Amino acid sequence: MTDQREGRLLFVAAIFLFLYSIILTLSPAVRERTWDVAYRFSHWVGFVLWIGIVIVAHRITSRRLPDRDPYLLPLASLLGGWGMLTIWRLDAGFGLRQAIWLGVSIAGLTAIIFTPKNLGFLRSYKYILLTGGLGLTALTLLLGTNPAGFGPRLWLGCCGFYFQPSEPLKLLLVIYLAAYLADRLPIHQRIFPLLVPTVFVTGLALLLLLVQRDLGTASIFISLYAAILYLATGKRRALLAAAIALALAGSIGYFLIDIIRIRLDAWLNPWSDPSGHSYQIIQSLLAVANGGMLGLGPGLGSPGLVPVAHSDFIFAAIAEETGLAGTLGLLAIFGLILARGLIISLRAPDRFRRLLAAGLTAYLGIQALLIIGGNLRILPLTGVTLPFVSYGGSSLLTSFIALALLLAVSDQTEETEPASLTSPQHHYLLAALLGIGLFTASLAGLWWAVVRAPDLLTRTDNPRRSIADRYVLRGQLLDRNSQPIDITNGKSGSYQRVYLYPNLAPLVGYTQATYGQAGLEASLDNYLRGLQGYPVSTIWWNRLVYGTPPPGLDVRLSLDLQLQKKADQLLGEFKGAVILINAQTGEILVMASHPTYDPNRLNEIGSFLAQDKNTPLINRAAQGMYPPGTALTPFLSALQKNGVNDNPTTEIYKTLGFYSTPAVEMPQAAPAKVGELENLRVSPLQMAVAAASLSNSGMRPTPRIALAVNTPQDGWVVLHAFNQPTRIFSADIAKNAASQLSAQDQPYWEWTGFGGPNTEISTWYLGGTMPNWQGTPLTVVVLIEGNYPATAQAIGGQLLQTATNP
Amino acid sequence: MSGPIVLGLRILLALALYVFLGWTLWTIWQDLKRAGQQATTQKIPAIRLEVQIKNQAVISRTFSQPEIILGRESTCDVLLDDATVSARHAKLNYHHGQWWVEDIGSTNGTTLNDEKLTIATVLATGDEIQCGNARVSINRGGMGTVSSTQSLPE
Repeated sequence: MTDQREGRLLFVAAIFLFLYSIILTLSPAVRERTWDVAYRFSHWVGFVLWIGIVIVAHRITSRRLPDRDPYLLPLASLLGGWGMLTIWRLDAGFGLRQAIWLGVSIAGLTAIIFTPKNLGFLRSYKYILLTGGLGLTALTLLLGTNPAGFGPRLWLGCCGFYFQPSEPLKLLLVIYLAAYLADRLPIHQRIFPLLVPTVFVTGLALLLLLVQRDLGTASIFISLYAAILYLATGKRRALLAAAIALALAGSIGYFLIDIIRIRLDAWLNPWSDPSGHSYQIIQSLLAVANGGMLGLGPGLGSPGLVPVAHSDFIFAAIAEETGLAGTLGLLAIFGLILARGLIISLRAPDRFRRLLAAGLTAYLGIQALLIIGGNLRILPLTGVTLPFVSYGGSSLLTSFIALALLLAVSDQTEETEPASLTSPQHHYLLAALLGIGLFTASLAGLWWAVVRAPDLLTRTDNPRRSIADRYVLRGQLLDRNSQPIDITNGKSGSYQRVYLYPNLAPLVGYTQATYGQAGLEASLDNYLRGLQGYPVSTIWWNRLVYGTPPPGLDVRLSLDLQLQKKADQLLGEFKGAVILINAQTGEILVMASHPTYDPNRLNEIGSFLAQDKNTPLINRAAQGMYPPGTALTPFLSALQKNGVNDNPTTEIYKTLGFYSTPAVEMPQAAPAKVGELENLRVSPLQMAVAAASLSNSGMRPTPRIALAVNTPQDGWVVLHAFNQPTRIFSADIAKNAASQLSAQDQPYWEWTGFGGPNTEISTWYLGGTMPNWQGTPLTVVVLIEGNYPATAQAIGGQLLQTATNP
Repeated sequence: MSGPIVLGLRILLALALYVFLGWTLWTIWQDLKRAGQQATTQKIPAIRLEVQIKNQAVISRTFSQPEIILGRESTCDVLLDDATVSARHAKLNYHHGQWWVEDIGSTNGTTLNDEKLTIATVLATGDEIQCGNARVSINRGGMGTVSSTQSLPE
């Protein structure tokens, strides 16, 4: 009956891991959305090893412990296999080591099972065992190393094999306390003499751990000591004292020990330092959020982004790839292990084994809750492992030895009467505390994976966005005649953005893993990334199936590459901006800003660009703010004739739109504050929009840059201007003003003005078609930093001529 | 196409996990039910008590419940209506395959075969319990012999 039940559950566990392995094998095909990929196979070695190990464990326990608890081995084996495959998915080398350690752990389990069943040797040799454990831990003070080469030196190592003595020390403490209290409690009447030896050894262990800065293990020690003492004596004070001790140690440590302060600060205020001390916890939460309900699937998330994902943060890795469904299952498995452990304790035939089983259960429960709580930001982060799951030989071996002891205690026939118990209340309270812990963890998982996920995933420091860019085609940016400006090259997995017309860089910007996004690549990102323009269901389906948005949509811009090239050529080495705008529709045909840079070489030049005194990253046409000076004369004289006022007023500037940013989807500088007169600054784009009204019978258009987006279901969909044009002059005034400025022998008006003090003078050129012009009404604005009126006029004039005589 | 296939596998993966958990819980539930049934159908060998208070007539009663309380209070299973008997005087209960007698804090104490009871003691047919002026003789039906190797629980 027991063997059959255990066998069946192990079979279901094997099916689970088999499915996990299949998905992991197929995962590259899903990522790259093609069958022609390199599949992953190496983890099947781990799966086969797991099958072998589990069969051996099942056989041995069946023979030696016929009346054991039938659930513990399947539960622990599922956790062990799940962890091992997750580690393999993160790093095949670690995965193989973990599989081998799983074998070693089962060997350890066998060794325990073959000892006499009443575990009397543990009871007899409790001091020797504990002293040995303390000795080995003390040895790390002298000979300690860290396999990673840095960090706390908690390991003893030789010949590529590392061992962390503080792991088995927890187990040895449980054994010692159970044995000591079981032996002494019936004799001693007074509690204090009874506790002196236990306080002494626990204090010694704590001291060692504090010196070694192994604070996670130290807090487990305090909690374990309190739990076992409570179970043995029934004094609730023990739990209270431990809670106070932990809080006190935490607050004293906050002021005295750096690592505690850093950890606590990172826990309390993670968002204030997301790339520093809180990096780990925020990456962990991002992974949990990315997993959502069902998870992305084994091999399909990016859990490798979380530091030490294979060890401390394996819960986050599991959450990302199997989602809330997986984490709730994992918590339920731990819940079952703990429940079985407490039942075993209640059924134990003597006091020693009862305390031992309860202590081992508390050890597994406290450690699991501590690290899961740390991963989910319920508790401060402590660097302990998740029992049975995390990478690490010492941890795995210790967990399985604890399991073996529980199995040995559970091996009682139904006739065996449990030892008498004054009251089961203490076990109930322990069960309730552990249950509340697991329930809180489930709620926290729900919170991060569902409620807070949308906010978290759109954070700019979520590196998953740039990973998705490598696998999902980004939309193209095209000019008004469908000439490509920015395209994406390569194949899925190594997509790369190519900027075919680098001179436009200040306007169109870039999208790149290290430097993020800028310009139109940033402001049109939702279309280019496929997050807008699709039906919601398509986006949802792609997110569910591939974990990424659908392929990005192409966007057609209003730019005319032909004219843009001309403008760039004319502006040449001058620092400044050129804008050519359709005065009626507001479509921006040309937007040049010099100096410019080559976004294709961002990797090499990115760090210099930001410090370049010539600020090539700034789009001078929209982000540069310049004093308008005499460039405003045409507007002022036009409005003056209207009888409004002699001097420029707030009202006039407001009419001209100088106190607001033009409503167009590109990064722009903040506008001048309302009421600013003396120190007014305007961007060339603001000036162009205002000047357009002279060519457009007094109507100020709303500028447009993105004309249409190519959606799969409706083809090209027009993106309308954000606002209607506003009238700022009557048609007559515009006509008069334009004819007064009319250029000699040319069908257009023009005006050159200067702004700013002599040291920082800038030259403005404004020009445009006459209001009665039969063709497309156009307006040009040229701004050059420095005193270059002739150049500005030449650039503007030639551009207008080219544009009006195609 | 790989995406929807793997999505199906992912759903199966989650299902496998919950089948595992569900099965575990179901078998635990079965265990619980079985244990419950066993507890309710557990055979407790009948015990006959012959009660005599002072010189009144002997009252004889047979019990098949696991716990019998003797005392002066009306809620007791065996009512010993005498001033020398405490409200709740002594307890007989069945476990480890035996009937045990135990004093539960009486004022005048309990004796078994004229020896004062200090801890729970196994009963055999013919044993006599004295609670104050009340005398209770035990008849365990056909299973009157006591195995002398029976050890006390810790």
